[in-house]
Amino acid sequence: MYSRKNQRNLTRTEKKRLVGAILELKRSGRYDEFVSLHRQYYVTDAESRPRPAHMTPSFFPWHRRYLLEFEKALQTVDSGVTVPYWDWTQDNTPAASLWAEDFLGGNGRAGDRQVVTGPFAYAEGNWRIRAGVTDDRFLRRDFGRPSAPVTLPTKAEVDRALGDPVYDAAPWNSLSTTGFRNRIEGWGIRGVRGVGNHNRVHRWIGGSMAGAASPDDPVFWLHHAYIDLLWTRWQKAHPRARYLPDRAPAAGDPQRGRIFALDDPMPPWDAKPSQLLDHSRLYRYV
Amino acid sequence: MDPTTATDGTTATAVPPADTPHSPDATPAGAPGRHRPARRAVLRTAFTAAVVAGTGGVLAPVLFKDPGTPGRGERRSQAPERFSERYRGRDIRGGVSGLVPAGGQARPGEAAAASTATVAEVTIDGRPLHVMRRADGSYLSEVNHYESFPTLLETARAAVDELGTAQLSATTPHTI
Repeated sequence: MYSRKNQRNLTRTEKKRLVGAILELKRSGRYDEFVSLHRQYYVTDAESRPRPAHMTPSFFPWHRRYLLEFEKALQTVDSGVTVPYWDWTQDNTPAASLWAEDFLGGNGRAGDRQVVTGPFAYAEGNWRIRAGVTDDRFLRRDFGRPSAPVTLPTKAEVDRALGDPVYDAAPWNSLSTTGFRNRIEGWGIRGVRGVGNHNRVHRWIGGSMAGAASPDDPVFWLHHAYIDLLWTRWQKAHPRARYLPDRAPAAGDPQRGRIFALDDPMPPWDAKPSQLLDHSRLYRYV
Repeated sequence: MDPTTATDGTTATAVPPADTPHSPDATPAGAPGRHRPARRAVLRTAFTAAVVAGTGGVLAPVLFKDPGTPGRGERRSQAPERFSERYRGRDIRGGVSGLVPAGGQARPGEAAAASTATVAEVTIDGRPLHVMRRADGSYLSEVNHYESFPTLLETARAAVDELGTAQLSATTPHTI
């Protein structure tokens, strides 16, 4: 049992140890395996293959397990390290301590959007992007996308999602107009709503975080820890609500074989959503 | 698009990517980082959703005379998209370049009823931009993974916006 903290409350030493563990995973090659895994499981809902990670009810449990695997890897380097969370409704400016020199470094510079401050700046010699979307070997960020401005989601927007009493709804994909899952995952639906919460944060950071290799930016983990916390908050707000769908779609349903019901094992770990609903014996949020 | 035009016995299954050695029942992604797709597989992306349901299989490239016209988001399903322009100093090209018939049933309840797999190619300064689709027929690219666009042109432009001065990777998008 360990605690995941709000990143704004980390001590200087805690930040240093977390950064050190991340850099060691990068050095050993383990970090890039996590980046690759996320990219490989990016299956869209136009495809007929199973999609455990995105545009799907198991968005929350898949990423919970993914974060647990990453956290376990960090802890093999430093057993005292856990993944903190970034509440982007609260620390919502480029001036937040999250982006300081002693933690994740700041925005990318004009032009090539290269992150040039903090421990993940290319010039520091410890953060070389190996298989990004671009030829560049440096981490890229473009806060707020000035070319077509994006804002971080507000507390009101998160609260609206938390207020939905149903976990997920047909068609169980990026077009689900109701349900907590897609309100947080945040797929824009023409005529219904724009890009929201989880997706919008990826957009706001921009650069590496906007693309296929988004975990190349270490803020990925802090963002997803907050997404994970929101799932827990939703469960507490709706104690009688359940993960849906609770059974596989019927024969003839277009989502049959493509989504993961409560007891369907998710690749690559063969973990069922039902095994990931309650994290209270592993960690807690403080 | 009228989904009923797409029930012609063709399939919702995309052309198997050259980099996927697994059966459709295998895990969606397979073993991490083990395979390198053929270059052709990078350039060509198979889609499951019908762009031109009901045209009978031959696509006539159509030039967008004014791609900037508002309302282009409501893409005419009969007009396969093809474009070539300078955008913010970058050469962007793209279009649906083929129609790949396949076997199977269209799936009800999907906005872009998948009946024929189309192949789209988008390049930025000559380098391939990997493009995917959502169930509503909109497009995502490897550069913008968390939002989608009604047309390939908008997808390409958004990728340029996101790239800044960066060039797309000259190597494959799926491997480390």
